[in-house]
Amino acid sequence: MQQMDQRELMTLQHYMKEYGQQAEIFVGQLEMLENGRMEALAAVETLEAMLSAEDGVVLLQIGGGASVRAKVLEPDKILLSIGAEVVVERPNKEAVEFLKERIMEMEASQKKVAETLDRLRSQMNEINKRLESGYQQASAAGQDQE
Amino acid sequence: MFGGLKEKLQAVRDRLGSSIQASAAPQAMAAAETVAGTAAKKTISPAGPTFTDKVKVLITDREFIVSEKDISDALSELEMTLLTSDVALPVTDAIIAHVRANLIGKHRKIGQSVDALVVGALKSALLEVLGTGFSLVEFIKAHDRPVKILFTGVNGTGKTTTVAKIGAYLKKQGYSVVIGAGDTYRAGATEQISVHAERIGIKIIQHQEGADPSAVLFDSVQYAVSHKLDVVLADTAGRFHTKSNLMNQLEKIRRVMKPDLVVYVDEAVAGNDAVIRAAEFDRTVGADAIVLTKADMDSRGGAAISIAHTIGKPLMFLGTGQRYEDIIPFEPVKVVDELLGSDT
Repeated sequence: MQQMDQRELMTLQHYMKEYGQQAEIFVGQLEMLENGRMEALAAVETLEAMLSAEDGVVLLQIGGGASVRAKVLEPDKILLSIGAEVVVERPNKEAVEFLKERIMEMEASQKKVAETLDRLRSQMNEINKRLESGYQQASAAGQDQE
Repeated sequence: MFGGLKEKLQAVRDRLGSSIQASAAPQAMAAAETVAGTAAKKTISPAGPTFTDKVKVLITDREFIVSEKDISDALSELEMTLLTSDVALPVTDAIIAHVRANLIGKHRKIGQSVDALVVGALKSALLEVLGTGFSLVEFIKAHDRPVKILFTGVNGTGKTTTVAKIGAYLKKQGYSVVIGAGDTYRAGATEQISVHAERIGIKIIQHQEGADPSAVLFDSVQYAVSHKLDVVLADTAGRFHTKSNLMNQLEKIRRVMKPDLVVYVDEAVAGNDAVIRAAEFDRTVGADAIVLTKADMDSRGGAAISIAHTIGKPLMFLGTGQRYEDIIPFEPVKVVDELLGSDT
């Protein structure tokens, strides 16, 4: 195997650092997508429960772990943010359908980001292997000189 | 790229087509009945047009008028499709208005393909909002060398990688390029851009971390002048328009290096947020062209559709992956063909 010089080792370290930063960004995106998905799932559950609750009473979380009982005046009229900062009024069932579609879109995006992250990680593994072999060569060369 | 939007536009295209078809059908039936009534009373001359010909002429050449009522539901669907794809409201309104004006009240031959009619209207509406695009190569050809291009934008959107990609693109087009490592603010940014520059074989001008970026970029321009290079690509630190100290720094950079072109870089996945940020940047420091990164991750396409119309500046490139060659010049006609199909 050809001896790796100091310069090549430094370049590999830079690559590792750069790929590590990119991987962090993708991990952040995955987290954001997962949070969005969980939020949408919770909204779907609440919307469905609201229709089936006869008296229209729900528990409204007001932060700090505190909740109050609240009566929803119009459980079939949902104000829904559809994108581009536009809010529309939709019947409960249509709002649920919309949210389910969004969940599917987010899952597709998660899959894509996860694939990219996997590719990145396998590239990082390759670089890591080369770095380790470079370090071993450097340390063996050092021992020979001693 | 923009797979979700493509799918939804396809559904709207079908819906608009079937609405118009449904409104044209009763008129065609009425025409056929008239011909049948007349033909029953007359003897057909062997030399003259046959009964079938007459029906065909009356049905295919007869014109019908598309009314608001015929397509209002389909237009509402189009509006929802665009909004849910994060296309900005003014842009959605412009597209709907264009399609409406293009279809309603127009005389159409019954035999004319309804699909071609609908696709034509959608294409011209999208092309209107997408603008003419921006050819960097043409821009460079039209300006004195070195052409100085300054890259700005918020943090973490892929600005430095975009500078490297555009460097590789221009090198491939036969231009000599120097990169100015003007991001002296973020730890490791100078190293990052120098690794890129080394990989693509482009000269880089850099100072110590924390140095004055104006000085780095001034030196880059001087280097390009003395070495007769074609293009200077000036990277800068990411910043939000609300950070006044960084915005003042950018103003100083502009004064010192006098860029020919200021490019705003943001990520397509940010959707409408990217459009709002671009408008803010344009208002505060100005922007001549836009690059949207991570377009391969964006299924909605909202930012790409909205940005040119909203801030009145053209979209120049789309970043579509991690490799240096994963950057494509934004050509509106190609994008529209990709979204709606080029079979018309």
